[in-house]
Amino acid sequence: MCDEEYEQSDSPSGPDPCQVLETAMEAGHILLENGAEIFRVKETMGRICRYFGVEFDDFLVLSNGIFTMGGSDREKPFAQIRYIPNFGTRLDKVVAVNQLSREIEKGSYSLEMVNRRLEEIRHMPGEKACMQVLATGLESACFCYMFGGGGADVAVAFLAGSLLYIYMLKVGGPHRSQLVGHIGGGMLLTFLCIVCHNLGLGEHLDLTIIGTIIPMVPGVAFTNGIRDIADGDYISGIVRVLDAVLVFTSVGIGVGMMFMLYRRVMGGLLL
Amino acid sequence: MIGQVAAAFLGTVTFALMCGVPWKYRLCCGICGGAGGGLYVLLEQTGFTASETTFFATVLVIVLSRYFAVLGRCPATVFVISGIIPLVPGAGIYWMAYYLVMDQQELALAHGFAAVKTAVAIVLGIVVVFELPQRLFRIRKE
Repeated sequence: MCDEEYEQSDSPSGPDPCQVLETAMEAGHILLENGAEIFRVKETMGRICRYFGVEFDDFLVLSNGIFTMGGSDREKPFAQIRYIPNFGTRLDKVVAVNQLSREIEKGSYSLEMVNRRLEEIRHMPGEKACMQVLATGLESACFCYMFGGGGADVAVAFLAGSLLYIYMLKVGGPHRSQLVGHIGGGMLLTFLCIVCHNLGLGEHLDLTIIGTIIPMVPGVAFTNGIRDIADGDYISGIVRVLDAVLVFTSVGIGVGMMFMLYRRVMGGLLL
Repeated sequence: MIGQVAAAFLGTVTFALMCGVPWKYRLCCGICGGAGGGLYVLLEQTGFTASETTFFATVLVIVLSRYFAVLGRCPATVFVISGIIPLVPGAGIYWMAYYLVMDQQELALAHGFAAVKTAVAIVLGIVVVFELPQRLFRIRKE
């Protein structure tokens, strides 16, 4: 029984090559959108194609697009381009697709099952917003403590971090400018920390601000960019590293602007 | 020291949560971050420079990440992204912005350059360990 099924899905007259490529594109789309490296996207797409008997496995994967063109004397022509703007990172989806591609290789999946599973992965629920707000606050507090902050500093960092994430949720949507959003975020977190400092909460203004900056650090773009460059995917790597550098700089600019504003309005020195 | 390691651990776990890392991997992410943060603090006290410290801490984080990736059968990226967060030069960017506004260009430049050096150390750490062959990280089954 099992062998029959295996042969069916593996034989050249099995699934339609266009559908296989479509499925591979879908898997690649989910991976790229949620923070996978370029080589992983290529490898997974290639794995799906090979298992379902499509000879063609050459894709152009860039940091926000996948280009596929296929077809040989035995296979129908196929062409598709997907534009994939990436906002937000959901590593659980990357892990799930990676797991799926391993299972496909073991030979227990038909094309329909793969499609169904990909659909499930696409709609996997994320953490609740309140949980994320608390987590950001906690993260700020932890790093504030790690850099040497005292009890009151940690409390201020927790508050500022939580409020910062609420701001990011409300304002930092996918249709806004990322740069302006991050400059605003930098200004907001500095403002909150300065206000708390002036109210007499927290001794170290610098440590609370540094702790609150950490959740805004573009760790995913930076790490993936480096790995892409190391793998020889220079275009995607440069784009991602540039993204990380711009975000980092914007946060710095935001912090600086708020300091400048404070000096103008209050006329005093800070620390 | 122990408090700082615990803070790095918890901070990394919460960052992993923000990136949507599944629950079963979050603890391992925390271990990577905690170990990296711990080594950083330890080496800093023994008089290494910031870039050396960051480099060695990054190497530790990535080695652990690759082991966890083999153990958990999942991409190493999951652990790498969360694990290096305690090493990121967040303080550098703050001091640079601060001194720029205070019109102390030299100090601003020094802090900005230090942040870049730290970033380069992280890059080197990541690249070097990922170039090691996979068989070093294979765990023998009984």
